[in-house]
Amino acid sequence: MNRKSDPRSPRPDSFSRREFLRSTSSAAAGALAIVLVLPEGSAEGVEGADYDWSRHRWVYLVDTTACIGCGSCVRACRAENSVPEGMYRTWIERYEIPAEGEALVDTPAGGERGFDPVTSSLNVRKAFFVPKICNHCRATPCTQVCPVGASFSTRDGVVLVDQEHCIGCGYCVQACPYGSRYINPATHTADKCTLCYHRITEGLKTACVEICPVGARRLGDREDPDDPVNEILATRRVQVLQPELLTRPQCYYLGLDMEVR
Amino acid sequence: MDPESPLIHTKHVFRAAILLLAVIGSLLLGRSLFVPDTWGEFGWYRGAAVAEHRARPVRHLGDESCAMCHDAEFAEHAAGVHAAVRCELCHGPLVLHANLEDGEKIADMPVRRSRELCELCHRKLDARPASFPQIDVREHLTEQGADLTPDACFDCHDPHSPY
Repeated sequence: MNRKSDPRSPRPDSFSRREFLRSTSSAAAGALAIVLVLPEGSAEGVEGADYDWSRHRWVYLVDTTACIGCGSCVRACRAENSVPEGMYRTWIERYEIPAEGEALVDTPAGGERGFDPVTSSLNVRKAFFVPKICNHCRATPCTQVCPVGASFSTRDGVVLVDQEHCIGCGYCVQACPYGSRYINPATHTADKCTLCYHRITEGLKTACVEICPVGARRLGDREDPDDPVNEILATRRVQVLQPELLTRPQCYYLGLDMEVR
Repeated sequence: MDPESPLIHTKHVFRAAILLLAVIGSLLLGRSLFVPDTWGEFGWYRGAAVAEHRARPVRHLGDESCAMCHDAEFAEHAAGVHAAVRCELCHGPLVLHANLEDGEKIADMPVRRSRELCELCHRKLDARPASFPQIDVREHLTEQGADLTPDACFDCHDPHSPY
């Protein structure tokens, strides 16, 4: 029989093009899936013999009604973490809100050298300090935009930057709605508050919490039922910065005013 | 090969298979060259980065560390109204001053006997909580009949235990 002349089936006992493409493409997809699948996590959340990160979830609590704007936290953070001059992992903002008109917001040198009295003719009726740090958001835009996977959230709830892997493109710096990130001029990589990961995983508090003389900053552990911060979060009225962005910040504020962004 | 043979078209499959193997091979090679060892250990990031963050040095060591050598100052300070003010707030991080491993002193601790140090916390500012002790230093010194010198505060107040 001459197959080529058979009008019903041009190639009855051979692959049709469609079959060929279908079978080879599915085989290729399967092979790719095997190649590209991520290696399985080797540890059950255990990170180091002395610290189990699956048993902690760090949060931060700021009491804006207590902050005196002394800037000790900013200085301690710089010393603890070798933060370059002109860059800030934490800073203090001052809000001076007159009865009418625009609020005056300033943060001279991040509050590092304290604040001078305001010399303005504004009829200020309400004034306060607001310390800021990275909010260590649960749904953070900064790690989502990283093109190389250098920004990540640890299992105990801290957003970190891998200095070895970061290419310094700065997308994360732009993506953070809170201005918590900067490009480190020494390493040319993204840098930010680590929640003093080297301290909190050793049972210490962050440098800023440790140094605050009025208890305006507190470190909490959501996994610790006896943690007083959990008691405050459960019973007091707390707020986060820009909740409308749905970033789920893990830095909570007591006494936050609507002027604060 | 016999053009009538049903195997005449298998060469297409072989060619495609060889191409596929070459692609997979180069992918695996690329992965081994460019993907860090601990990539994906905990998620889509380099697992070793977590341990690297943990390994950074602790620089503020707390009041109890200071008490190892300065127990008199520690006791005086702990009993006073400045008990909540950490030693390292005014003096700076302890690691610049002493090595706790061998108890060796590295350098003198900064002692800043300046009005500016006190004013960081106690200068009168309207943004400070009203209940916090604040002072207009010029006004206060005039009232006391004292001169506005750089270390005027320390003539009357001991920062370790003021009043």
